[in-house]
Amino acid sequence: MNRQEILQAIGERFAEDIISVFEKSPKRVYIEIKAGAIVGLAQYLFKDIGARFNIASGVDGRNSMEILYHFTVEDVDLVISLRVILPKDKLAIDSLTPVFTAAHWIEREIHELLGIHFIGHPHLERLLLPEDWPEGVYPLRKDYKEWDPDAIRDRGA
Amino acid sequence: MISLLYFLVLGFLVTAVIGLWASWFDRKLTARLQYRVGPPLLQPLYDILKLLKKETLIPFGASKITFLAAPMIGLVSVMIVSTILWANNMDPQQTFMGDLIVVVYLLLVPSIAIIMGGFASGNPLASLGASREIKLILSYELPFILAILVAVIHADFSIRLGDILAAQARNGIIAVSWSGGLALLVAVVCTQGKLALVPFDTPEAETEIAHGVLIEYSGTLLAVYRLMKNMMLFALPFFIIIVYLGGVRIQGLHLLYGTLEYVGIVAVITVIRNTNPRLRIDQVLKFFWGPITLLSIVAVLLALGDY
Amino acid sequence: MGILDKAFLKSLWVFHLATGSCNNCDIEILDCLTPRHDIERFGMLLAGSIKHADVLLVTGAVNRQCIPRIKRLYEQMPKPRLVVAIGECALSRGVFMHSYNCPLPLDHVIPVDVYIPGCPPRPEAIMSGLMQLIEKRKAEAGSTKD
Repeated sequence: MNRQEILQAIGERFAEDIISVFEKSPKRVYIEIKAGAIVGLAQYLFKDIGARFNIASGVDGRNSMEILYHFTVEDVDLVISLRVILPKDKLAIDSLTPVFTAAHWIEREIHELLGIHFIGHPHLERLLLPEDWPEGVYPLRKDYKEWDPDAIRDRGA
Repeated sequence: MISLLYFLVLGFLVTAVIGLWASWFDRKLTARLQYRVGPPLLQPLYDILKLLKKETLIPFGASKITFLAAPMIGLVSVMIVSTILWANNMDPQQTFMGDLIVVVYLLLVPSIAIIMGGFASGNPLASLGASREIKLILSYELPFILAILVAVIHADFSIRLGDILAAQARNGIIAVSWSGGLALLVAVVCTQGKLALVPFDTPEAETEIAHGVLIEYSGTLLAVYRLMKNMMLFALPFFIIIVYLGGVRIQGLHLLYGTLEYVGIVAVITVIRNTNPRLRIDQVLKFFWGPITLLSIVAVLLALGDY
Repeated sequence: MGILDKAFLKSLWVFHLATGSCNNCDIEILDCLTPRHDIERFGMLLAGSIKHADVLLVTGAVNRQCIPRIKRLYEQMPKPRLVVAIGECALSRGVFMHSYNCPLPLDHVIPVDVYIPGCPPRPEAIMSGLMQLIEKRKAEAGSTKD
């Protein structure tokens, strides 16, 4: 399947879940979808089209948080990024780990740094932060405040 | 008999000085082969003196007596070995029957001291290095003894170093015959294993297991180990010279020949060290129990057939 | 200066520790061991185990997880021991000063003797810093010793 056919197939099959499609360049396509449809779309991309799950990135916006899931279809040189927007009072989304294990660690990292809960994740624990990091403090949020009284934040000059 | 002065002066001082020089020569030749400037002449001495200044840390889970005694045992055995070798070289009549067996046995004790030190450290990496050293000993001892057997056969089946030297003085050095040449080759390769140098330095792999056996040693004990290794770098080529190349006659031009033979063997060891990668321990075992043992058996058969 | 002190300065064994760095300073340190800038001519060798080391070369902004490990490594070094901080991140955390994971600069964790600035410092700068370490040690050899 080439690029046009892939995008057409996605557009037909998930027509009611796609909010918008933005073709940034011949190699990158951003598809904004509803939060509930992510598992179905990821399964379709992984199993039927044969895309590879690359990484997921999380952004803390002004009124909402968004997660981007990046899939690459290497044969046709295409990167499809699925954008999911989550409201700040309800930061939960279905986990992709039951579909493929590649999402296991990145979802743990997004959880510990941004505070988004992944429903159905088998082992949602801290991955990179140290053990004595306080619970409920998410560093990459825009309203993160320094909680450590011993930290030195000036050069002393 | 061998007096205490002999022991201290020849067995310890002369061996240590020549051993330290050989260690410098090895490092300088390595540096030159890698196209860089090497350390200055007194560098091995500075290393040992610096280590005497550092404090000695004994790990909490170590067995203290073995930990402290292991380097001393190694050093004393090297001193005794070099005393016997020097005694044989100076005056072949003053030693005892069977001293070849004593020398072969004592040349093994430094490796055993390293193994003891490794197991007494209480560190899993040190135990790993020590178990690899055990496997290394199991691999090279057989071809080494078979190679020495060639020299014994040439000396009319006498296990006395003095008789080996006397036979070489009568009939010419052993290394020029077919069996002798093969045996010399096998002995040099086994020396590379005995000194735990690349390609056989798996027990003490620097970057792989963070110095393996010697990981917990510091200060004076490490200085004793390094001195022991440097003295072994003298004792083993000297042993090879006595057994295969007729010893070193302290007399005019023969002294020059002896020095050149010694420097030649050290240079061969260094060049092998620099041109080979480090082998895995199972490759080492296969190498010594395969081709090298076969070569040494062929050498023994040739010696029995008078070649 | 006694002969043991002179021998100490002529044969410093370095141990290289990277605490959350981008690895550029580590590459420059390894560059010092290559034939072009050879530090073995000064007697310095790369030590495999911390118990054989005299100088601890630290690179990288210090993470929260690295702080107890650096302290443990520093205590395991036998005295006399020296610490060299290499690169901007080890000096004062550089651009990561306000990062959530780098609370303290290196000299609030272990005492540092020589600072080598640069991002990354050239191998010549690292060697010049090590020479200054030797000069500093010679100057204070008569008075207090650690």
